[in-house]
Amino acid sequence: MSKDQFKTRLEIAKKKVSKRNLDKKKDNQSSIGTAFKLSTELISAVAVGTIIGFILDKTFGTKPWLILIFFFIGVIAGITNVIRSAKNMQK
Amino acid sequence: MAANPMTQFEVYRIGPEIKIGAFDISFTNASLFMVISSLAILIIFNFGAKKNTVLPNKIQLLAELSFTFVSKMISDTAGSKAKPYFSFIFSLFMFVLFCNMFGMIPYTFTVTSHIIVTFILAAFIFVGVTVIGFIKHGFGYLKLFVPSGVPIILLPLIVIIEIISYLSRPISLSVRLFANMMAGHTMMKVFGGFVISLGVVGGWLPLSFSVALTGLEILVAFLQAYVFAILTCIYLNDALNLHH
Repeated sequence: MSKDQFKTRLEIAKKKVSKRNLDKKKDNQSSIGTAFKLSTELISAVAVGTIIGFILDKTFGTKPWLILIFFFIGVIAGITNVIRSAKNMQK
Repeated sequence: MAANPMTQFEVYRIGPEIKIGAFDISFTNASLFMVISSLAILIIFNFGAKKNTVLPNKIQLLAELSFTFVSKMISDTAGSKAKPYFSFIFSLFMFVLFCNMFGMIPYTFTVTSHIIVTFILAAFIFVGVTVIGFIKHGFGYLKLFVPSGVPIILLPLIVIIEIISYLSRPISLSVRLFANMMAGHTMMKVFGGFVISLGVVGGWLPLSFSVALTGLEILVAFLQAYVFAILTCIYLNDALNLHH
């Protein structure tokens, strides 16, 4: 195989690969991954909010009010997280 | 075969007990598999980088492919400013990927199916990204918690929400990897147990499920390593290019 021949074949192969990559990009993000990403984001924010509320309750001795408040703030934070990452996915 | 599908996650000591103060730092099967995956990465990349031929052999191809894959991922998500952190993200991706993949071999131990391992990785990333953000922007990094165009009355609430969502990052990062790996491996063990208990007559259906699950788990093992690395890139992007 001559050098030119090799070069043209390389070009063709490169084009094929880039085309395939473009096709892949559309459904690249597997739906399991996306679903799991959203659910963990929601849950972790709620968990963090509740933990913060629990710690603040212990330090200030205001059981059970702060844990309740921070639980709901955590829920809000989780929902904003989910909306934000869903918006990022649509880009 | 063990009847309990959770016995595969047991950590036990290999060799002598080593104690420093109150901490038990003995060599366990988890540490063994971490060492094995790190060694495998080192060996593959040493051999891959040894001979630089124009037409690469298989190992070199593997090394080059993963290199370009990660570098493209970083430039796509975090831009050119994240170039200095390439080595960190690359080793992180490779480590998680190899730990996941080694777990797919029967009778091995999956390191990433333990939340403490993934949580330490995620906490390390979280602290590192926060420190990078403060170094790059000084106290201006705190603007991340104050979105623009919010009425003053709502501001305290929004700031608390933003802080909680920022703190939830390491938890969501670690729980995702850990839960995926643990759920998948438990499911594989459960279906494997069905094959044994149903025997020759009824065991064919769970066996086919097991085969399908193995394929799915290999996909998940790759995907989770990818997601772990790409989220690190996204967090790094937030820290480097502040726009909120």
